[in-house]
Amino acid sequence: MKRVMAAALLVLTACSGTVGGDGNDDALPACTVAPSPATSPTDLPPNFPTPDGVEYTSQEPAGPSTILEGTWYGATIESAFEGYKSAFVDAGYQITDEEREARDAEVNFAGGSSTGQVRLTVDCADRVDVGITIRPG
Amino acid sequence: MRRRVLAALLVLASACTNGDPPADANELLIAVNAPFSASPYVGHTILQGVQLAVDQIEDAGGVEAGGRTYTFRAQLYDSALSPRRALDNVRQALEDGAVAIVDEGTGLESTWSVAAQAQVPICVVYQGGLGMVDPEARPNVFRIAPTDHGVAFRFAEYLVPKGLKVALVHDDSDYGQGGRLAFDKAFGHTPDAIAARVSVPAASADVAPQVLRARRAGATALLVWGRSTTVAEVLRAARTAGWDVPVYGAPSAEDPLVREQLAERPEWVDGLTFASGRMTAEVGPEPFLEFQSAYHDAFGRDEVGVTTSAGETVFQPPDYAMYGYDFVNVLAAAIVAANGIDKAAVLDALEQVDARGANGDERGFNEINHDGVVDDDVYFAVFEDMTYRPVQDDPLSSTLEVIPQT
Repeated sequence: MKRVMAAALLVLTACSGTVGGDGNDDALPACTVAPSPATSPTDLPPNFPTPDGVEYTSQEPAGPSTILEGTWYGATIESAFEGYKSAFVDAGYQITDEEREARDAEVNFAGGSSTGQVRLTVDCADRVDVGITIRPG
Repeated sequence: MRRRVLAALLVLASACTNGDPPADANELLIAVNAPFSASPYVGHTILQGVQLAVDQIEDAGGVEAGGRTYTFRAQLYDSALSPRRALDNVRQALEDGAVAIVDEGTGLESTWSVAAQAQVPICVVYQGGLGMVDPEARPNVFRIAPTDHGVAFRFAEYLVPKGLKVALVHDDSDYGQGGRLAFDKAFGHTPDAIAARVSVPAASADVAPQVLRARRAGATALLVWGRSTTVAEVLRAARTAGWDVPVYGAPSAEDPLVREQLAERPEWVDGLTFASGRMTAEVGPEPFLEFQSAYHDAFGRDEVGVTTSAGETVFQPPDYAMYGYDFVNVLAAAIVAANGIDKAAVLDALEQVDARGANGDERGFNEINHDGVVDDDVYFAVFEDMTYRPVQDDPLSSTLEVIPQT
């Protein structure tokens, strides 16, 4: 997927905000709250990818959808973002939208008769929190 | 305040005779095809969002591409919620040389192909219907607005876990019928959560029989998907009958007309909960508040026509205005990337570029997705004392800040 940020967007400076960050702008505190024990999710869409290093900690239904929560130790927001994108592509899913900021990122996907979003957030060092919503197609 | 909006029938002193912008045109026309007469709030907030971006681009010196500098002008075309008029408008806009059409969505089934023949993009900024946007079948159609798919699934995710038996009350407008399709798709996975599906005429002033039908079906919640007048009439019918059922609504429920129509009974509006696209992004409320401030400076506040119990005048945040605003900025980025205004090149570039949106998020499209608002950006807000705030019992909504409305 091509995403060219047009170089000459200086004319659009009225839109304020930070451009997608590199994750290094602020020092992160150490993680103090231990995550829940790992769980093995069930009934996921066919071939739904789980990148190496991700541990899911909960799976809950939300009406027709499934909500997964998990953690990825040792990852940065950038490596987790790229890791999920690669995993979806390798699994034959399409990435329908994506966005990465300094401390959060989203990867929207379609595939396996489902759509949804992976939300990645980093609140402390050496751990990325993973939240996934999976909607049936 | 600058308003450079021209009436639709204004004869253009343009050299173009074939619908293309003249070769030496540096001011490019963006047509705004919306229901100004039939749904004034929707029409004008779309137009003003477009106009704000047009003005800001001009103030910043324009769009430089291919050795030239371009500016835009916005021109309204009133669809009056009529598919026929919407089609006539698109034909006229193309004859007028429009480089893009910002559209509420009425009549898209016929307008998109006319615009496609002219290689002109249409961006829908209000209606969220399934099938309206399809990058393969309709490569010139884009959308920046919450989709019906997203609204319906987010409602299912929010309401089903509450154990509610939901009656969908939809009207027979395009908007309401689209809602019915999306409701079936989302709630069809949990049929036990559905009490009834009830259709009402969009123009009906009395929907009491249909609301009674929903009540007799055992509904413990109403989800109203229709024009703003339908939302108001359903609330009126339920409360008049003494039925204190929780009422939820599609994005049309935030239209000021709902509150205007129920101004004499503000307690009936209390608790009305609607879904819409989040106004603020992960970066916080500042970008949207800056946008809102610029909008107010340019056009004044969109006053709702009601007051709070303390007598404060209520205004509507320009949430739907930001979608047209964002599209103009994405279009400008596409013209830069295309190195000019070649139509095919601009259409292609619209799939490649992003622009920083009014709420701080990136807005853009790609080859497989022409929808600029993702399902997960749909949030819920509840009315209290004629203003609304994000609900606290939904994970996304609970993280969002209240946008001032008085």
